[in-house]
Amino acid sequence: MNTINKNLYLFWQGTMLSYRALFAWLRPVTYMASKILMPLAQMFFFVFLGSYASNGKNVDFYVIGNAIQITSVSGIFGVTMSVGGDRDAGTLPYLFGTPSNRFIIFFGRAFMHIIDGAIGVVIALTWGVLLMGLDLSHTNLSALGLTILVTTFSTCGLGLLMGCLSLLTANVMFVNNFVYFSLLIFSGANVEVTALPAWMQFVSNILPLTRGIAASRALAAGASFSDISPLLVSEMGIGLIYGLLGYFLFSWFETQAKQKGTLETV
Amino acid sequence: MNAIEISNLNRVYRAQIGVFNRSIKEVVAVDDISFDVQAGELFGLLGPNGAGKTTTVKMLTTLLIPSQGSARVAGFDVVKQANEVRRRIGFIFGGERGLYWRLSGDDNLRYFASLYGVDPAVSKKRIPYLMELVGLQGRGNERVGGYSRGMKQRLHVARTLLHDPDILFLDEPTIGLDPVGAREFRNVILNLQSQKKTILLTTHYMFEADALSDRIAIINKGRVIALDTPSGLKGHVSDLSVVELETFGTPESVLEKLRSLPFVDALSVEDREQKQMLLVQTKRGAEAVPDVMAALDGQRIGRVIVREPTLEDAYVRLVGGQA
Ligand SMILES: Nc1ncnc2c1ncn2[C@@H]1O[C@H](COP(=O)(O)OP(=O)(O)OP(=O)(O)O)[C@@H](O)[C@H]1O
Ligand SMILES: [Mg+2]
Repeated sequence: MNTINKNLYLFWQGTMLSYRALFAWLRPVTYMASKILMPLAQMFFFVFLGSYASNGKNVDFYVIGNAIQITSVSGIFGVTMSVGGDRDAGTLPYLFGTPSNRFIIFFGRAFMHIIDGAIGVVIALTWGVLLMGLDLSHTNLSALGLTILVTTFSTCGLGLLMGCLSLLTANVMFVNNFVYFSLLIFSGANVEVTALPAWMQFVSNILPLTRGIAASRALAAGASFSDISPLLVSEMGIGLIYGLLGYFLFSWFETQAKQKGTLETV
Repeated sequence: MNAIEISNLNRVYRAQIGVFNRSIKEVVAVDDISFDVQAGELFGLLGPNGAGKTTTVKMLTTLLIPSQGSARVAGFDVVKQANEVRRRIGFIFGGERGLYWRLSGDDNLRYFASLYGVDPAVSKKRIPYLMELVGLQGRGNERVGGYSRGMKQRLHVARTLLHDPDILFLDEPTIGLDPVGAREFRNVILNLQSQKKTILLTTHYMFEADALSDRIAIINKGRVIALDTPSGLKGHVSDLSVVELETFGTPESVLEKLRSLPFVDALSVEDREQKQMLLVQTKRGAEAVPDVMAALDGQRIGRVIVREPTLEDAYVRLVGGQA
């Protein structure tokens, strides 16, 4: 086998590893239940709270915002656990003792969560249509599908960076929760970004999700693919930047650990 | 060709001590070590806790950068040609961690095979073969979290053989295994030895090192203090006999008195439940027994044996003489 094929195979195996670990962790039934019911809970909460506050005028705003934001469950928590899991399992010396391509290992950890996260969004949108009066009849559905994938990808990019932090510190769950709840506000899922103070808008603009949510809302309101494609390109770029930052942190971590002898002691 | 060449290897750790009054403490874990291991040799690395064995193995397996000196494994430099080294070695750090517990044994092996770039067609045949070699046949689709400690350690052996490495580093591979498990494990090691693999083994079990090793290096405080064949090492104590006395809680003051007797070369104490074994090394053989008994006056004494020295006695003398 040539190097490219070997790396593709390694990528695939790493992906399957994260995937199987996910299912082995939760039983399939529990997993499906959380996958189907968790979005419903979050959406009920914010949609009713939000539409109550805005006298029911704006239901779609909250439905779409929260449905897309659901992706960060996989993107932030899932990816962090997949990357940080090696630290808990004590597999880092065995991982770094192989001649494998680190880039492939690293991004292989996230891939399954992109699919997992996208499925979560689709389920959430389905709840929106079935129970919350979301109308997608004027929506370009393939453009919406692409928007969901791109947004999930960029959120996973941030997750990869968070995952690296979890290799460096034990208290990453606190940081993760903080990021997750921050995204509820900063991403515009529950508040118009334009209504935020300037510094918060700045943060919104450098976070994933913000543009994906905006694009989804536009599509639901009947926008065409070309209307939202600039948003998608930026969303994708943001995801890449976070992912690459994560990768550089991952490489730095390996070098540091070998120099300082902290591979298992972190 | 030598499989492993170590020249003037040195490793210093910098550890931060104290929470409020932060200061840096330097620990010289490996202090100017040099030795070679020949291809096909089973080389034992012995030494007390903290002697620097694991640190040495980590440097040889490319997981730790030496502070000074260099080492070549399979002809490649462990720092500059790390990936070349990695392709040709396997390693185990004793214990049950280092596997994906949520995955099955087979899945673990499949993943590590892909990390080593083993062709999937090859690993498909190799995984069942290795599972059988380590006695885990039929258990491959069970989750590793449900394996016993010994099974996990055997899975580590299978893991480290996936890419058919020529050189193996086994750092306390039998730690925590029951006697039968440890014996089976040694058979696996013997099997690997017969396949002409070079093996560097660290262990605290002297009989294990004696039975398996072609040559042994004893390290203490980061330095090699002896390097010889097992029988060569025993030659260091061939002038000695060992008086073994079964006692029951001898106070430290009495042990001190015994240690200070002119004809006692070394004294070690092993605690065994309620009993205690005193191992007295002496050149006087059986003649020393009455004097030893006299020194233990007032202590309850059980069985007394005078015997030839073992590798363990040689080790105690070499390491003890340093302390
Ligand atoms: N990551 C580390 N950071 C700081 N000091 C370390 C680190 N690892 C080992 N040391 C120190 O280096 C010395 C040698 O440790 P090492 O683990 O190599 O010993 P060892 O011979 O393997 O001992 P054992 O038989 O207990 O496994 C010890 O003093 C230890 O405290
Ligand atoms: Mg050790």
